[in-house]
Amino acid sequence: MTQPTLHRVHVPRGASAVVSVGSEVRPDDVLAHHRRPQAPQRVPMTGPLRVSPPEVAALLVARPGAMLEVGDPIARSAEGRQVVAPVAGLLLGISGADGSALLAPLGPEEPVIGHVRGRVQSIEPGGINVDVPGALVRGVGGTGAAVHGELVVAVHDPGEELRAGAIDVGATGKIVVGGSRASAETLTRARAMGVAGIVLGGVLDKELRDFEAIQRRRREVGGLSGSFGVLLLEGFGKVGIDPQRFGWLKGHAGSMASLFGADGLLYVYDAEVAPGRRTLPRVGERVIAHRRPFQGRAGVLVAELDDLHATPSGIQARMGLVRFEDGRLAPVPLANLEATLPVPPA
Amino acid sequence: MTLPDAGKTAQPEVGAELSMLVDIGSAWTKAAIVARSRGRWRIVSQVAQPSAWGEADLRSALVARLDGVVDRRVASRIGELLQTAPRIACHTPRRVGRIGLAGVSGELSGASARRAAESAGWTVTEAATADDGRSLTARLAALQAADVDAWLISGGFDGGRADQALEMAGLVATARSGSRQPVIWAGSADLAAEVSALFEEGAVQVVDNPRPDATHEQPIPLRHELEELLQRMVEPGGVRQLTPVSFRRAIAELARSTMRSVLGVDLGARYLTWVRSDETGDAESRVFASGGLASPALLASGGSARLARLLPMALDELAVADALRNLNARPATLPQTDDELAVTHAAARHLLSQAAAEGSITEGLDLLIGSGRTLAAAPRPAQAAQLLLDGIRPLGITELAIDTAGALPPIGALEDGEIGEGMGVLRDDLLVPLGVAVVPRGGRAGQVTMRVSVHRIGWPDEGPIDVRHGQVTVLPLGRGQSAELDIELGASVSLGGPRSGRQVHATVTGGTVGLILDARDVPLAAPRRTDDRRAVLAAWHDAFLREPTSTLVGNR
Repeated sequence: MTQPTLHRVHVPRGASAVVSVGSEVRPDDVLAHHRRPQAPQRVPMTGPLRVSPPEVAALLVARPGAMLEVGDPIARSAEGRQVVAPVAGLLLGISGADGSALLAPLGPEEPVIGHVRGRVQSIEPGGINVDVPGALVRGVGGTGAAVHGELVVAVHDPGEELRAGAIDVGATGKIVVGGSRASAETLTRARAMGVAGIVLGGVLDKELRDFEAIQRRRREVGGLSGSFGVLLLEGFGKVGIDPQRFGWLKGHAGSMASLFGADGLLYVYDAEVAPGRRTLPRVGERVIAHRRPFQGRAGVLVAELDDLHATPSGIQARMGLVRFEDGRLAPVPLANLEATLPVPPA
Repeated sequence: MTLPDAGKTAQPEVGAELSMLVDIGSAWTKAAIVARSRGRWRIVSQVAQPSAWGEADLRSALVARLDGVVDRRVASRIGELLQTAPRIACHTPRRVGRIGLAGVSGELSGASARRAAESAGWTVTEAATADDGRSLTARLAALQAADVDAWLISGGFDGGRADQALEMAGLVATARSGSRQPVIWAGSADLAAEVSALFEEGAVQVVDNPRPDATHEQPIPLRHELEELLQRMVEPGGVRQLTPVSFRRAIAELARSTMRSVLGVDLGARYLTWVRSDETGDAESRVFASGGLASPALLASGGSARLARLLPMALDELAVADALRNLNARPATLPQTDDELAVTHAAARHLLSQAAAEGSITEGLDLLIGSGRTLAAAPRPAQAAQLLLDGIRPLGITELAIDTAGALPPIGALEDGEIGEGMGVLRDDLLVPLGVAVVPRGGRAGQVTMRVSVHRIGWPDEGPIDVRHGQVTVLPLGRGQSAELDIELGASVSLGGPRSGRQVHATVTGGTVGLILDARDVPLAAPRRTDDRRAVLAAWHDAFLREPTSTLVGNR
């Protein structure tokens, strides 16, 4: 079993934690509550204090950010005149125009859900750190919110494109492992079907932007509910998932997982260590190539060439000779290769 | 009786005088070995490799490069000698400084503050302005959610009150509540006391307004304050070893010791550092936090389309976008195909031109130096020259050079008194001169922008060579060779600065590329129509890469 990974759950400043250090948390547990300030109420200051607007700031007895109860003083003049809070709320500051104080009542409590399982290790302003007992897979990009769900695989081959037709109601609430790409339509359909998240080898930058634009528009018109995340494992463009990683993900279909699209992270719970990566591969190791023309292709590093050699673009680089899985033998800059580390036996 | 070693001459162990210069970047590490060879200190070996590969592999690579060239008596011990050799190192800041911004106007105070912050090396994590279309509470929510190290508030012209500035300061005070991050007020001086009163005593640092009125920008005091704050927060132990700082020190010393005005640009994965120094060594530097090749700024909406327009070949905008994303995701990888290299170079040109456009003076330079892997390790020196010229457009007659060994930043990390000495002993190896560029401004399409005659001692005179508007011509002028240029400028053409006459005489020195006569105007003027623009860009590209021909072939 893998060692726990420390994961930081971001919480807005001003939120109050409802868990304590050492608490066991589940992905759908509320870790903190946050109350958003509502539209501020203007509290006249210059009249009661008998000062001009520029003089108000110096007379404040409560600073912006202070939570005031009804009757708490906001400002006091040297002559003892005082302005108190007419309602409970967060003091946001003073208006430069007329010197009035801006007091914002707080809205209802909103939950901050961690979307991870584990033990709370520490709580600090802006974040709650959780030890997560799962294997971590790092991607190179993604989009969307934190989500969790059961891992399912929707393609047969890591190089296969995830088609809209492969997503049905059975995928609702799950994290779907796709293949080498998915169109904006497929992602939109997945979201509409209630899929929690999608894991892909690659995606075209344009498709991802189109999808994000659709989501933005839907959010603006208020037609969006639930969370959805996309994680890219290998790169941008049509890039298949490394077969070794794909095999590992397939082996963990049915496990619970948490996906953090914007952070490029996927936790698979109670799983052994995920296939790792290391820069600077050694001869004989299995490698994965990045950048075109071999992006996403796996093979074996059969030799490291002496001296520097020019790439087709003319850049002088340390090169390795790779026997790709399709049988091709090609020189590739070592900087564009990563060793794919086998999963240690349980 | 015979002693065990009798008959053999006792050999004293031969030592070697070595030093390592190391620049650890966020993506690539550049290292060079400096050794005494035939009585002189020389750069005898250099490597660049992804920083993630680590120190041990760096040393192995350096040793491998020395194989066959090092004295046989120390060849077997070179690895051991390197391990104990003095190491002069600098590094990119280990973490990014994040700042939250609040201003009155996105176009004026907010834009000035953002520029100052980014050119001082900060990354703007969240920016809220009173005219950003959000409600007060939405702005507060965004500021509360931002993970920042410091806050910058701006707004209002000097001599006036900007009502919303105080509200924005209040939002920052609310969002910051409970923490002790430093706050800078860089707005109307009249509001300074009121803004300070919103925070605990001593929390707010008041700096001169970068936008004192609607028409002027005065970013330098704010930039300096932000630079100092960043250095205090990110590298409290000292900043000399930070690459942006050491690069500035090296450029300043180079300018002072050679009594030339020098512009150095270090284009890395994360940062672009821009240093301009006058002949006295008085240097002004800017560190563009979003100026590196892997910066998210290139991925912004419309970025790929903009870069696709800079390419000399037809390349799908979608492919450009994917290439940029992959560069961002894996900055230590290399462009392996011509297409990907073209995208990388287009990105470099764009970033340099962005930096040049942000108020930096690029005329009257004596020397322009390119540093960083993309510039200094371009496949061909002519490509580096084109990147510098296309991006920066140095108006006038300017020598070009690249820091191939990546030695300038580590040398700048030496003590004050040692930088000059270090540069002095390595003077022949420190820079690779590319040649000299003559870049005039003005002229009309189809007309001669400049007529140049080249005189070299021992060679037949060349010219006069007519260079028409929009044309670039490269002539051979080897490293160390000098030439006298007689330049006759066309109507409404200028070389900037004091060279106001139409007849200009100059003495220039060559380099690996040669003499570049660049009449493409300042700023660069390319046709709008796609096919025409692509053809012109390809012609410029070819002009740089074509082997420079002696006299006038095809130039008359």
